[in-house]
This record gives sequence, C-alpha cells and structure tokens, in this order.
Amino acid sequence: MGAEKVNKSPKILVFSTEKISDPAIDMAGLLKLHYPPTVYTITVPCSSGIKSKWILHALEQGFDGVFIAADGTDCPYGESCVDKTGQLVGATQELLKQKGMDPARLKMAAICSVCSEPFVKHVKSFTNYLMNSSN
Amino acid sequence: MKKKIGVYVCHCGGNISDYVDVEKVRAEIEKDESVFLSKTTMFACADSNQKDMVTDIAEKQLDGAVVASCSPTLHLLTFSAVAERAGLNKYNYIHANIREQASWAHSDDKVGATKKAIQIVKAAVAKVKRSNALEPFRVAATNAVAVVGAGIAGLRSAIQLAESGAQVYLIEREFFVGGRVAQWDDLFVSNETGKELITRLYDRAMNHKNITLFTGAEIIENSGSVGNISLKVRISPRHMKLDCNEGNLGRAIEVCPVVVPDKFNFNITTRKAIYHNFPGEYPQLPVIDMEHCTRCGECEKVCENVDFSQKDEFLNIKVGSVLLATGFDPYEPKDDEFGYKTIDNVVTLPQFKRLVHYCDDKLVYKGKEVKNIAYIYCVGSRQVDGENKYCSRYCCTATIHAAITAKKKYKDLYNFHFNRGIRTYGKQEVLYDESSRLGDIYLQSFEDHPPVVSKEGDKTIVTINDILTADKTLEVEADLVVLVTGMVPRQDNSIGSLLKIPRGRDNFFNEIHMKLRPVETVIDGVTIAGASQGPKNIMESMNSSLAAATKSFSLIAAGELALSPTIAKIDVDNCLWCGKCDDACPFNALTKTDVDGKQIAVVNGSVCKGCGMCMPVCPSNAIELIGYTDDQIESMIDALVSTD
Amino acid sequence: MSEKKILEYDVLVVGGGISGGEAALNLANLNYKVLVVEKDLSLGGKMIALSKVFPTLDCAACITTPKVSEISRHPNITIMFSAEAKKIDKIGEHNFEAHVHQKPRYVNIEDCTACQLCEKACPVSVIDEYQQGLVGRKAAFIPFSIASPRAAAIDIINCTLCGACERVCPTGCIDFTQTDNDFIVKTKAVVVATGFNLFDPLKIPRYGYGKYKNVITSMQMERQLAPTRPFNTILRPGDGKMPDNIAYVLCTGSRDKSVGNPICSQVCCMYSIKQGQLLMGSLPMADVTIYYLHIRAFGKGFNEFYDQSKDMGVEFIKGKIGNITEKENGNLILRYEDIEEGKVKEAEHDMVVLSVGVMSNSEISDSFQGESLRLDDYGFINQNDILASPAETNIDGVFVAGTATGPMDIPDSILSAGAASAETTSYLRRASL
Repeated sequence: MGAEKVNKSPKILVFSTEKISDPAIDMAGLLKLHYPPTVYTITVPCSSGIKSKWILHALEQGFDGVFIAADGTDCPYGESCVDKTGQLVGATQELLKQKGMDPARLKMAAICSVCSEPFVKHVKSFTNYLMNSSN
Repeated sequence: MKKKIGVYVCHCGGNISDYVDVEKVRAEIEKDESVFLSKTTMFACADSNQKDMVTDIAEKQLDGAVVASCSPTLHLLTFSAVAERAGLNKYNYIHANIREQASWAHSDDKVGATKKAIQIVKAAVAKVKRSNALEPFRVAATNAVAVVGAGIAGLRSAIQLAESGAQVYLIEREFFVGGRVAQWDDLFVSNETGKELITRLYDRAMNHKNITLFTGAEIIENSGSVGNISLKVRISPRHMKLDCNEGNLGRAIEVCPVVVPDKFNFNITTRKAIYHNFPGEYPQLPVIDMEHCTRCGECEKVCENVDFSQKDEFLNIKVGSVLLATGFDPYEPKDDEFGYKTIDNVVTLPQFKRLVHYCDDKLVYKGKEVKNIAYIYCVGSRQVDGENKYCSRYCCTATIHAAITAKKKYKDLYNFHFNRGIRTYGKQEVLYDESSRLGDIYLQSFEDHPPVVSKEGDKTIVTINDILTADKTLEVEADLVVLVTGMVPRQDNSIGSLLKIPRGRDNFFNEIHMKLRPVETVIDGVTIAGASQGPKNIMESMNSSLAAATKSFSLIAAGELALSPTIAKIDVDNCLWCGKCDDACPFNALTKTDVDGKQIAVVNGSVCKGCGMCMPVCPSNAIELIGYTDDQIESMIDALVSTD
Repeated sequence: MSEKKILEYDVLVVGGGISGGEAALNLANLNYKVLVVEKDLSLGGKMIALSKVFPTLDCAACITTPKVSEISRHPNITIMFSAEAKKIDKIGEHNFEAHVHQKPRYVNIEDCTACQLCEKACPVSVIDEYQQGLVGRKAAFIPFSIASPRAAAIDIINCTLCGACERVCPTGCIDFTQTDNDFIVKTKAVVVATGFNLFDPLKIPRYGYGKYKNVITSMQMERQLAPTRPFNTILRPGDGKMPDNIAYVLCTGSRDKSVGNPICSQVCCMYSIKQGQLLMGSLPMADVTIYYLHIRAFGKGFNEFYDQSKDMGVEFIKGKIGNITEKENGNLILRYEDIEEGKVKEAEHDMVVLSVGVMSNSEISDSFQGESLRLDDYGFINQNDILASPAETNIDGVFVAGTATGPMDIPDSILSAGAASAETTSYLRRASL
C-alpha cells in the first residue's frame, strides 16, 4: 500500500539555494519532519538566477509541479533578490498560461535558513493541490 | 562527456543504510554506462575510504566522481579535496545528499527514500558527466582587517591581528571604547576592575603601530568581496579639538546647562550635554552630545577647545576581512515587568552595579538605605511567553558576584536570590558555594510560576512558591529589587544587515557551524566575535575574539586569495547587448564591450559572485552560469524524472 | 645520548584531540611547521568516540572525521602516535627542547591496509577500551572503525608473541623488532592540549558501579548510541535485555567535595539530555528520568534543547541520590531526596547511567624542567591572565588549549584552541622581528 501511495504522489521539483533554503531543507531531514519522497531538490546559488526555460523543461518532462524555495530578504547577494525572484515567477507563470498549462503548477515561497517547518508545510500543501488538480 | 565516473554510496554507519537500500542504489547507478566503478562504503568520510578513493581515481584514471552521503555543507569540501589529491579537478566532483534529503527526511518510507536516493544520485551523475575542470581566479588580498566594535572583544581581536602583522581599522560607534565591560567594576576570577582591564587593552592597542582607532564611526557602505572589501566609514565629530587642556574642559562641563540621564550609568545619574563617560575614559577627551546640545555656546565661552565647526567626515578604506565584535544590549524590562518603572525600588542588574560603584559606606537608593535585596533571575531570558527562549549564560555568575561584592562592601546586607535553577557552570561553581557560605538565601521557582513583586503600603514584597522548601509560599520584604536582565542582540542591526550576516533563532549573529566553526559566517571574509554571536562571559569573549582574529588573518595571510570560478559566462554569438543583465547585476560585474564591431556584455571575473541574477532577464538566453549550465540543469531534471 | 634523533619544528602541540588538532591546523595554515604528539594510537581524542553532539544532533563521527583527515594530511603537520613529551626544557625565549618518547606500534602504518586478518588470527581477547569495556578486542587490533590512521597495532602487554598475526598479514607490515624511540624536539613554542579524564565512579561505592552490572557510565552509553556502536542497539550489560526505564545520575564526581571536586563539569547536563533524546528515539517505549541538582543549559541553543527534551517526555527530578542497590532481577533501586517535595523516596529503574564529570589531566606539568607549569586549585592548567589572554600559562611560550584549562564543551574548546594558536602566532612573530 505504501508503494502505491508513493507512485500516485505528484512529483515536485524544488529549486533551492545553497546558503539559505538548502540548510532549512537539510534541517527538515535532521528533525525527521517527513514530507513526500517525490519532492526533489536542485540547488542553485540564488533563487533569482533560475531560468524560465528550466522550469518549463521540468514541467514538460514529467514534473507535476515546481516549487521555488526563495532566498527572501536573507539573500547573500542582496535584497533585490526578492523582487527579481517574484518577477521571474510572474513571467514564467505567464508563459505557462500561454502554453495552456495551469500557472499554479509553479509556486514560490521564501524559505529562510531555519524555515524547516514552513518548507514541509508548503511542499505538503502543494502536493495536495497537485494531487487534487490532476484528478 | 565523461565516460569513467566513480560513484561511492555511503552507509553513514546506518544513518543512511537503515532507511535507504544503499546496495540497490549502487546497483541502479552501475547500469549507467558512464559509471565505470561504483561502491558502497560504511563511512565515506573516513580516512581509509578517502585513501581508497584516491587510489581508484588515480589508478583507474576516473574522469568524474560522485559521493552520495550527507549534506554538502558537511563534506563537499572533504571530497573535492580527495579528488584533487588524486589529480582530478575538484569541479569534476559532484556531491549527492541522500541523508538529510532522503534517508532522514523519509525515514517513514524506506521504499520511497530508496527510490529518491537513486534519482538523486542519477542526477549527480548526469551533472558530473557535463562538468569541466576549472581553475580558481587568483587575486591579491589586502593585508588589513576592519574590526567593528571596540569593547573587550574588538580591542583584543585588534591587538591580535596587529601582532600577527595585519593593518587594523578599529571602528567604534560610540565616542569611547570599552563597551559594556567599562561599565563594570570588580570582575570575577581576577581582582581587576572593568576599567583596569580596558586600560590594559587600550594601552596595548594604542601602542601598536598597525592599529588605527576611529570613534563615533560607522560603516555605511560596503562593496567588494573577501580579500578586497571596500568600506565607507562615517566619522561623527566630537566637536572638540584634539589637543585639550583638562582644566578648561572641566569648566565647560560645569557651565553646560543641559542635564540628561547618563546612559553610561543606565540612567541612575545625570550628565551634561558635554560629557565624559567618566574621567579617565578612553580616549580621554569629552564629547558634545549634539542630540541634546542647545547650542547655547556657554561651553565655547570658557573653553577654547570646543569646536562647533566640525562636520561629519567620510573615509574609504580597503580591507581583506571584516571582524564583527558588536556586542549585546542588556535586556530592557517592559513597564511593570516585575514592577519595573511602576514600583520605585526596582532596578536592573546593570543599574545595581553602577549603584554599588557610587555608594561608598552605605548602599542607598532614592534616599533610603538598602538592607534586604531581592534578585529576580532570568528576566528577559528563558521566557515562557516571550521570544527569548535562550539562557543568557553570564547572569547567574554575574549576579552572585555582584551580591557578594555588595555584601562585603556594606554592613548587614541580606541577599535573597529568586532563581530558576542556578547555572554557575564550571569553576564558577565555587562562587555559588561561597555565596551560600556567606549566608545568601536561594529560593527557586518553576519556569511558569515566576515570583511576584508587589507594593503593600510603602513596602515592596516579593512572593514565591519555593520549590526548595516543598513549594511553600514565601515572602520577602525587599528594600531593593534587582532584575537580573539577560543579554539580547543589539537592537540596531545596521551593520548586520549591511554585511548580510544571517541571524539565528535567538537573533544573535549566526556562525557557519555551531560546533566546529563558531566564528565564521556564511559571508566569506566576515567573522564574528564575542557576545555578537551569543551571550558570553569575559573569558569566553576573549577566546572567541582570538579565534575570530585567527580565522580573519588566515584569509589574508598568504597575500593572495583563490576565488571561485563558477561565474557568469556570455555567449558571444547570441548576446545583443540590451543592458538588462547590467541592470540586474547587484555587483556591477557586467559591462558593455565591443568585439569585432559588435556590442556585447563582458563579465568581470573578480567581481562576479556567481549568483545568476543576470540569467533570467536575458531576452536571448545568452548567459550561462558555470557549474549550472542549461545542459547540466536540464539533464539533472531528466535524471530526476526518469523511470527505469 | 647521541642516538636520539633531533627534530626541529616551530610549534610542538601536545595532544591530538579536537583542541590540539584545531590549534595545529590554525598554525599550519599560517605556514608554521607543527609536530603533534599524541599518546594514543589515533587522532580525535574523546570527541571522535561520541554518538551525536548537542544541541544540533550532528553525528560526532561525521563532523570529527573530516577535521581529523584534514589534520593528518596537512603538509605542515607531523603527527607522532604512542608518544609522550617526557621532558620539556625552556632554554631561552623561542627555544624549547622536548624529549619525546615513542612506544612501538609493531606495525608499519604505511603498509597496513586495515584488512583485519591479524585481528581474526589473534587468539588473545582483551577488553576494548574504545568501546568502554562493553565488548572485547584482540591483542592485534585496529583501534576503532573510524580511527585515523586506520591501521593495526599490537597490544604488546597482552600479546603472547604467538606470531599468528605475522603469518596472516598479507603485506608483512607487522614488525616485532620495533623498539622504543626517543627524539629531541627543538621547538619555538609549545601548545598544551592534553584534554581531560573522566571521573572514575568506583570512587563513589554507594552508586554500585563495578558491582552492579546495569550501572554504567555515560561514556558507555555514548558508545551504545554511536553509529559505530558494539551491539547495534541499547542493551543492559547484566542480561542483554533492552532497558525500558533508564535513570541518569547527574553530578557524578562533580560539585562533590567528598571526592575532591567542588566544580561543575559544564557538559554533563547537556550530554545527558542529549542521550535522553537519543534514547527516546531508539527505544520509543522507554522512560528516561534525569536526577539533577541544577540543569546547566547555558550555551547557544541549549535551553531550547532542554525544553525540547521535556516536551519529548524526558522526566526531570530535582533530587540528590543517596545510594543505589540491586534487586535480584538486576533492576536497581535509587534512594533519593526529592528536593521539590522535601522527602526521601525510592524509585526502581532497570538501568542507571552515571553522568561522570570532567577531571583534570595535567601530568604534563611535571615534564617542564626548571619553572614548572602551574596548575589551578582543581588540577587544571592555570590560566595566567584569564580575562585578557586566556591561553597564556605561567611560562612564556607555552600556551594551553581546550579542556586542559577546565571543563568545556566542543565549541568552547574550538574557541580556546583558536585563542592558543593566536597567542602562539604573536609569540612566534616576536621571535622573527
């Protein structure tokens, strides 16, 4: 039964950042805050350096959702990260609409370096959303 | 693309293999034809395995390596160093995290954890196939350090750095050095006073030719990166000429009509708008407090040294590293917290220490002699309802020491300690023992049942359910209530925000690793010392400032730094120079250049930090980040969704 | 004495635990040549043997091993194992002469592949000190699985010289002809990082350690919880049963004038709380009770960790232990004064862990010729200028790092090692000016 559940669970790609959200995601593991194992992470230096191209590629190749674990105001490269990440998410959602895809398959939230619980909450609720929307 | 990749899957002594079938992971990865060798290992980080890896890589001439183990924050450097020792460029090593992000995160689902681990390792293999050897940029490092804060931690770090051979800019925001310790008299362990300790450190610092002290100074701008950091410092004027005649200064202070609470004495005394912290403070030159000065000009009339024409000065300095020793604030109780500000004989521990300093034969507060003192511990620390969950570490010992000092100084004084469990750790225990022998009374309450301070007629009563006497309700009539206030992070975090230093759950500056790297931060080149990182006593602050000085100095000691080559790269054919990347770059790393009559963007490698902010804004996808190319990211995505 | 080899270094570091290692690394990174003299067979001191560390719960082995390998492969660091500095002479400023005595390992480290065939062949079984006596080892043995260097050694005191190990060794690295070595080390400065000893609970007979099998020390529990643990689960030594009601006795050998140690050991509260949390994790049905006088949860994140353990269900009783007796089934009766209720009570537990304290280890002070290295009232190395230069000793040029100065936890040891290397740097620079 467990294995079946796993198969049905939507696949989520998390773009996380080396210095800010990665530590939070790691700490979620350390604290054994469980979340679905169909959530995968690719690490980048900064959330405002994610290309729309990559997000589209992920959604086209089989990921059900993409979650950007953004640096927020903690970004070591400067506060402009917040706006820039917001802009790239907005632009990508626009592209999704144009392609007839649900823009809500791309989600973003700021995950600080100790935000393990919020991270788990976000990916769980995103999983639920994707599970329901695919039905 | 690479064809001879080595993959090592770690058991982590069960931390991984209890939940992830590491043998299955290995078997799956082996199917990839570019994987030449795959192994499992009990501890990938152990010396024996590291040696095995070196032999494998060198003898079998592997062109790429992956270790699937714990978080890269722990061991990425370990294994990239292994690769280098074997002659493999460290950028041909890729780390896969299957502990924090697989075995531990999914310890409730072994099948799922194993499946995820397989995909993670596949993605790492996909990335390493597309990785290239890179060499670091070498840049000269400036042999200078900015030390921010001239309390004991900053002074001591500055001395250490200077003695190691670095130039030091010691930048103090206040007009006097010494920080909090200057406000204390007798210190625990030695027989010194705070002032004596500060005198010793100040003299040693000022006698060293490498140290330049700025008071009234603040860093207001910051650019560059480790090795070459440019800082802009604003220096506020003292409104005093440098060569002063003490006699006339005394007159100037006398005639000043402005009287304000003296912050140095935590407002239990007053001072003038032109003031010393106390005579003999360092530097030994008064200052005019422009916030309160009415410009009446009285001081100017009697003292030729007063100079109202002085203006803010701005200074640009270049350093290789920044050491933050910005200290703490004492917790300020809320109004009516244990009667603070509502009951007239309630003071804080810092106020009490100043009071003891000023009272010679008798301890007198607001005209009344004090005989019974009630100390209420953990005010602002270990809060049940508030945000400060942490213990402030220094206060139990500091209070007991202050109580013993008062008891020895004044006759017939009785100390009552309302505590939540005394934490005189280590050798400080003997002080607790001494205080008990001197007859101090200890009463203890639970965390959620703190004592109550109330006013009954003209009496101040402290009531407690004392767990040391089987929860009896006890009352003490106190002539003075001392609130043992803890350490809180500096309210003004402007330097922290400027340098982007992350803060921990307790809001103090956060170190990279709590156990093994306690003075380094995630910002390369910035170290933290003393109570800016968390509550500490004097000795602990000293150890931390010396350790931070060592780490800061080791960054610049070689005179050269190797910078990461993972920076942005322009695709010359596709770039049409629209300037959007330049607008997006927070570091001004991109500029326009002309190549064969075509205008394109060019990246300044020693300024680019490799954040990638320029990439998403490029309309022609002409920028890639080395180490995070489209090919690498997309092949990782493919590997993560692949099914077998 | 002409046969003594003469070696020259900038700094001699005595002790290869986490403090000595950190000090050596700091100095080596500044290009000083460092010799580390370690009396044991491997690096990492007490830390490498721990399970996890408080309050992060990082696995101790995972964070110690990279540090240890960094030390062992640093080009500016030389390490001498099974070695002790017997005599240290200060001839003048920046001029020390140390007589280092090294016992033979009877194994050539470079040739040993850690294949363990010698272990299998050796017929002699003795107590395994690294596993705190919980299991046995052979007389030909690798100290422990993550030891650095991971190489065999022969315990010559227990060896019967049967030659079995020599015959099976595939690389011929066992060499019974090795003899003691003596070196004269010329050095400009000395860092003392000799660490601490654990309190020996046999000194408190009323706790029954050594008499009742299910009374163990916290270090023995530490080994039972570690990833490289001997049984792969928690067992009580008496009968191999998994315990389900475990008691901790804090301040065993600390804050106790009757055993001559009036000070607090600074780490026992936190390591006991940590073990309590780990036990709740690995034995979910077990009860854990900690008998304490005061909880010293003072460091960064400690109080939060203490609160967390209460939330997890670890029970805390403010109580003084009178004595411990054993029932026929191996369970233990703790007689204690419940301070909150002001009554003497008894409680039954099936396993008792004695949270043993930190004692000084400063035999090194006797090695100093002429002016001896001064100790404080508790036998730790005296800090000459504790508030301004905490690593300074009474001898100029000799600095002290870590728990050699008194009880402290890992981050404080790292800071103290940082201080010792800083002050050594200043001292060395005075020589070159």
